[in-house]
Amino acid sequence: MLKNIILNIIAISLCNLAIAQSVSSDVKEESNIYEQIYDAPINVVGKGQVSFQELYNQKPLLLALVFTRCSGVCNPFLFQLKENLALKTNDKSFNVLVLSFDPRDNMTDMSLLAQRFELENNEQWFFGTTNSIEELNQSINFYPIWDSIKNQYDHDALLIGINNQGYITKKLIGVRQGHDLDLLIASVNNIFSPTYRLPNKNMLFSCFNYDPKTGENKLGLGLLFIALPAVLTVLLLILISYLVKRKEPKNKEIF
Amino acid sequence: MESIKIKKITSVWIITVLLLFVASIVLGILMRLNQGEVISQSPITFYSNMTTHGLTMIGIWFVAGMAAVNYLMQRYVKTSYTANVFALVLTVVGVVLFWASTFVGKFHAAWTFLYPLPFKDMGSETWATILFLISLTVFGIGWLIWSVSLMAQILKKYSISQSFAWQHLTKNPTVETPPFILITMVTLVGVIACLITAVVLLVLFYAEYFSGGSFVNDALLMKNLTYFFGHTIANEMLYLGLAVIYELFAEVSGRPKWKTTWYVALAWNLSLVFILTAFFHHLYMDFVQPEGLQIVGQLASYLASLPAAGVTVFSIFIAVYRTKIKWSLTNLLFFMGIAGWVIGGLGAVIDSTISNNIVLHNTLWVPAHFHTYNAMGNVLFSLGFFYWFSTQFTAYFHNKKFTNSILALLLIGGTGFLLAFYVGGAESIPRRYSTYPAELSVGVNLATIGAVFATIYLIAILMFFFNITKRCLKILSSTS
Amino acid sequence: MQQQPILVLFLALAGAATIVFIYVFVSSKKAAQTDQGMSNPLKKRFWFLLILFVILGIFTSVTIPKSPYYLFAGETPTKVVHVSARQFAFILSEKAIDPKNPSGENIELPANELVEFRVTSLDVNHGFAIYDDSNRLITQVQAMPGYVNRLQYKFKKPGKYDILCLEYCGMAHQVMKSTFIVK
Ligand code: HEM
Ligand SMILES: [Cu+2]
Repeated sequence: MLKNIILNIIAISLCNLAIAQSVSSDVKEESNIYEQIYDAPINVVGKGQVSFQELYNQKPLLLALVFTRCSGVCNPFLFQLKENLALKTNDKSFNVLVLSFDPRDNMTDMSLLAQRFELENNEQWFFGTTNSIEELNQSINFYPIWDSIKNQYDHDALLIGINNQGYITKKLIGVRQGHDLDLLIASVNNIFSPTYRLPNKNMLFSCFNYDPKTGENKLGLGLLFIALPAVLTVLLLILISYLVKRKEPKNKEIF
Repeated sequence: MESIKIKKITSVWIITVLLLFVASIVLGILMRLNQGEVISQSPITFYSNMTTHGLTMIGIWFVAGMAAVNYLMQRYVKTSYTANVFALVLTVVGVVLFWASTFVGKFHAAWTFLYPLPFKDMGSETWATILFLISLTVFGIGWLIWSVSLMAQILKKYSISQSFAWQHLTKNPTVETPPFILITMVTLVGVIACLITAVVLLVLFYAEYFSGGSFVNDALLMKNLTYFFGHTIANEMLYLGLAVIYELFAEVSGRPKWKTTWYVALAWNLSLVFILTAFFHHLYMDFVQPEGLQIVGQLASYLASLPAAGVTVFSIFIAVYRTKIKWSLTNLLFFMGIAGWVIGGLGAVIDSTISNNIVLHNTLWVPAHFHTYNAMGNVLFSLGFFYWFSTQFTAYFHNKKFTNSILALLLIGGTGFLLAFYVGGAESIPRRYSTYPAELSVGVNLATIGAVFATIYLIAILMFFFNITKRCLKILSSTS
Repeated sequence: MQQQPILVLFLALAGAATIVFIYVFVSSKKAAQTDQGMSNPLKKRFWFLLILFVILGIFTSVTIPKSPYYLFAGETPTKVVHVSARQFAFILSEKAIDPKNPSGENIELPANELVEFRVTSLDVNHGFAIYDDSNRLITQVQAMPGYVNRLQYKFKKPGKYDILCLEYCGMAHQVMKSTFIVK
């Protein structure tokens, strides 16, 4: 009976596994950690020319690299980021810098982008361009490839955490969920989380998922397996005592 | 009739355990000699011997405790002879399969078989891993049925709350739960929980093995399960030994029997909880594990030592202090075993402190402390029982010389053997190294010293073995 | 040098326990038939437990904050080293290590600055234990496949440091070794 239950759980889990495993792995995420980001001069919409350092000294930064003519990942990426951060309205421990890596983008493009996402009046969000994009890209190992047929850049969605001393504390490649974003925000604020999960492994049977928002671990499905034996033992205890008690009158006759 | 059958099967258990014990000690000494560079085995031989030694030792002292508890339980409730025989048969079959997997198949992933090592166990036969898993399954089934059967027999006579002595927590309890029943019940719950964990663990192993790579386990989950099983069974088998002591110590000393009081009841109920959560201390160096659980691990490890030790040790002291009692090999072994258990426990508490663990984890400090409360603790509890049992039914006269020389050899051999481990741990010598790197040459000398003292210990065990086996064979051949 | 005091503490405690056991045993040997044993055992047991409890409580509150998880929190490491353990070697690199094409290099680390090791495994569980040049274990963390454990440390002395595997990983576990230099 026990085996059946477990096999059932496994069967259900196996179905989910296929989904869980589709997250792509990327070592690039682990590169450049704790390296100083290139101190590029930045043109910020509504603010004018500032140095990168001024920006991150003010508050730690989440840096999103996009280009306005993107027909691919940039728009959904920014949209997700905005949605996710909107859930954290009271977290003012960081700012967001949306920076264009496309030399064709000018301040008007960026300003329009901000308006399109209705972020032009949000104090936490900066939109800008830089004329030192090469150096900046190099310092974060980000190399978008120009595809002249599609007239588009082939690139990953990239979000970078920068603490207020300008160190890269964490990178997220791809459009990522709230949990990873929380890790990123914790890292820019120098909150030590003693572990990271490699992105490619199945998350399904993990016991815990670290929640950087609260600094705690949320229970994972795997935890069930640790608690299961104790629960089963208690049930077994009750079951046995019920079974043997039912037979008790018979036993008494024998004695 | 019933009593003859249980006598005989208990004798068979005792002979089996002692035989396997001697063989495992020899493997232990060979390991120490290899680490001491006195002999030279291939690493695979060393590690498969280590695997054999570890699991055989855990297995035999678990079944020794169970057999003793089963025998003594006859005093209170009827137990199932069939379950006892069934467990014996499966244990023997399991040992044969397991030894085949290590000695022939060269399975060498250690008795903790930490996932995914059994699947990446280079240098062993391809069938060794699955045979090992099957042998574990055989043990698991036999022991699970045995424990469940014992628990069922207790519950026939005592209600759940009585078997946990909860009525002793009220002011004027009307029914008395004997301490033996209380401790056995608490222990059986732990035993069953960890055997079920073993089943879950094995199912996950089988699932990956037979899925042909499409199903992959989570290493952290597997590690938690492994230590829930491994730590808990190693801990519970000690408590089986304590149940025997609660039953027999006063009796063989010619003193009034120990009674369950409210603090005894409370202590053992608390132990149940702490023991099931203490295993987290095996994952301190896995920073992945949530900090909350790490701290639970440290607290539970500390607290687990309080009630059981506080109550048991104090009870022994009360029984002995300035009291004229009949000393015999049995209660001397019990008394010495309790001392060994306490000292091993001190080593364990030190190691279960996270800030110490960072320099002790997986050094020789670990085998140091667990060998202390096994080789100088739990083993002595069981040997005490064996001696008591065998002298119940055979002509017996107190042989002071025999008693003293056994105790002296055990004490000298054990102390020297263990000190070599402790000093090794403090010298940062890693555990589970077949040979030590040149920089850690202290480990080599310590290993040789350890081997010499372990041989002294072995001599005591051999003397004991011949004495007891002779008696047990007599019981087997007798007809009444 | 955390180990020496630990050994001394243990030997002292073990010695004290031994003396108590011997004392109790001898008192029994010497006891006359009429001796009544311990007076007021219940009260003494209560005090015994209370003292034990208080000692453990103090021990807990002193040691928990020293746990490795809480050291150096809030500081940014000046250097990060990626570590991938595999049967039977450690790969160390200042760049992230590609599991499909793992490669490493010799590592030099600054003294007295916070360093972070990002430790993982490419196959089975391994241990990542750092030994100083007097062959003393100074810190460690596990290398678990599928997870990255972050070990932070400040090396005080310049010199050569060894890395040994402290989680049994198969037949060549005992020779799994690497080194790095602290300047
Ligand atoms: C005098 C008798 C004994 C000797 C000479 C001995 C020797 C050893 C040695 C040399 C090791 C390997 C240590 C290392 O990691 O380098 C070991 C491990 C072990 N021993 Fe013993 N031992 C003895 C008694 C016992 C007893 C009574 C138990 C009872 C439970 C036991 C259980 C274990 C276990 C579980 C391991 C761990 C194996 C592993 O690391 O996988 N030993 N022993
Ligand atoms: Cu290794």
